[in-house]
Amino acid sequence: MVASFESRPLKAAIWLMTAIGLAIIYLPPLYLVAVSFNPALQPALPALSDVSLTWYFALAKERTLISALQESLLVATITALVATGLALLSALAYMDLGKWRSRWFMFVLLPMFVPGIIQGLSLSVIFGRIGLKPFWGTVAASHLLWALPFAFTVILTSMAAVRRSYLLAASDLGASWWRQLVDVTLPLIKPGLVAAFIFSFLLSLNEFGRAFYLVGRQNTLPLAMFGKMNSGASPTIYALSGSIFLASILAVSFVLLAARANNRKLRR
Amino acid sequence: MKSPGLLLALPTALIVLLLGFVPLIVILVWSFWTWDPATYWIRPEFSLAGYAAILEAGRWSVIVGSLGKAFLTAAICVVIGYPAAMAVHFLASRRTALLLMALFTIPFFTSYMIRAFSWRLVLGRNGLINGWLMDLGIVDQPLDWLLFSNFAVNVGLVASYLPFVIFPLILSMQRVEPSLLAASQDLGASFWRTFRSVLLPLTQAGIFAGFLFVFVMAAGSATEVQMLGGAAASMISVMINDVMRVVNFPLAFAISTVVLIILFGLIFIGNRLFKLTRLFEGFTW
Repeated sequence: MVASFESRPLKAAIWLMTAIGLAIIYLPPLYLVAVSFNPALQPALPALSDVSLTWYFALAKERTLISALQESLLVATITALVATGLALLSALAYMDLGKWRSRWFMFVLLPMFVPGIIQGLSLSVIFGRIGLKPFWGTVAASHLLWALPFAFTVILTSMAAVRRSYLLAASDLGASWWRQLVDVTLPLIKPGLVAAFIFSFLLSLNEFGRAFYLVGRQNTLPLAMFGKMNSGASPTIYALSGSIFLASILAVSFVLLAARANNRKLRR
Repeated sequence: MKSPGLLLALPTALIVLLLGFVPLIVILVWSFWTWDPATYWIRPEFSLAGYAAILEAGRWSVIVGSLGKAFLTAAICVVIGYPAAMAVHFLASRRTALLLMALFTIPFFTSYMIRAFSWRLVLGRNGLINGWLMDLGIVDQPLDWLLFSNFAVNVGLVASYLPFVIFPLILSMQRVEPSLLAASQDLGASFWRTFRSVLLPLTQAGIFAGFLFVFVMAAGSATEVQMLGGAAASMISVMINDVMRVVNFPLAFAISTVVLIILFGLIFIGNRLFKLTRLFEGFTW
């Protein structure tokens, strides 16, 4: 720590801004979660004695939302599998690319910055021209472009655990490139692969704009929810939004805690 | 055995090119074709009608307005994110720093739509803020401009994209040699002097990268305007949806092309000036 940051008002100001940042990210969705436990129709914080799961039980009857959820789970699983596989290959390639590294990194990252609506529209006209009817696969194709940059970055970060000396040692002992990958690299980056899978899954599950032009008959969950949110929001939508939000937080927390445990193990 | 670097890159390269870049190049080309009302599609005759239509019906002002909102969002995110990154890097204990980084990582993987939607409960007529303001007696009537307004859109955009600014800033602070800050101080510089003359210049690349990330994400956003904007509020992505409702392909393609050229131009210039990719090279070996 730098001594010039010791002045108390200064530290207070820095922490205050941090708190404001976290509050605007977390307060509204957490308020929504709290509201979802209120059995009244009017959105408000429930009194402690009123807390109820009414709207969560009501979810079971929302057929359209449930089939949309199934579709989204399918798309997310496919997206996550392909994104993790491609990200692993891309990260291994990065290690070998020498002075081309930066360019390769930019290339894989760029699709993330294309506005979702534009990416979805361009894919849908191409698919339409080649006669490919929209289905879960066309949605997954657009989600892949969104998830891949994150999966790639995560796996690349986990590659830090693979010291060059390990690979040199393996190579000196006569291990082929393939043996080095299977016996040295993959075990070391396993947490990164799991993280990439879960992150890609969540990115796809929660992605809204890209699917707009690419869904077939069956909506994805965010599209179905968007419709509900804008048609006189029934409180069941709070219950669904709240559960998806909490589930996402739990999944990411799991990944981060596992990564931390793994880092400790490696340092020992 | 030599490792198969290029071969490993091939599948990703193909997918990113075929699904990512080729469709964008195709719509760039098609934006110069002619709309054919007989087939509801376009035919390969050169036309600038799509681009001419951008200048009509206030469409140009939607583009400029969207970029303006994105700029404001990015600026606010830097102002909030810089101290937050300082807290993580300079002030927090190791444990707290990890916790803060986790808290700023989580939002990337939650739903932007749900987070924007939840602001309706906070900013609405019967929302949290109006409730507080009335309870405290600051206002008698609920404030109407809190929701379905540009104010709400900007708040929603900052909340959505703030995490994008934090990580480039932390990475750039990690690259600042602590002895430089100590030296500045030993020579008698105040905090502000050290901040202005040492820390700020050395973290320039992080500031720019963070600003650019937020700007690009916000410029392409749709959800926040759809959830929180007023009746007339628009944004580039929403305007493209409106144009597609009347299947005006050349216009939708022309808008997309203009926007992509602006965004990619900024990314490439930024990368040239600030070597953004270097920020992330600390990651490996």
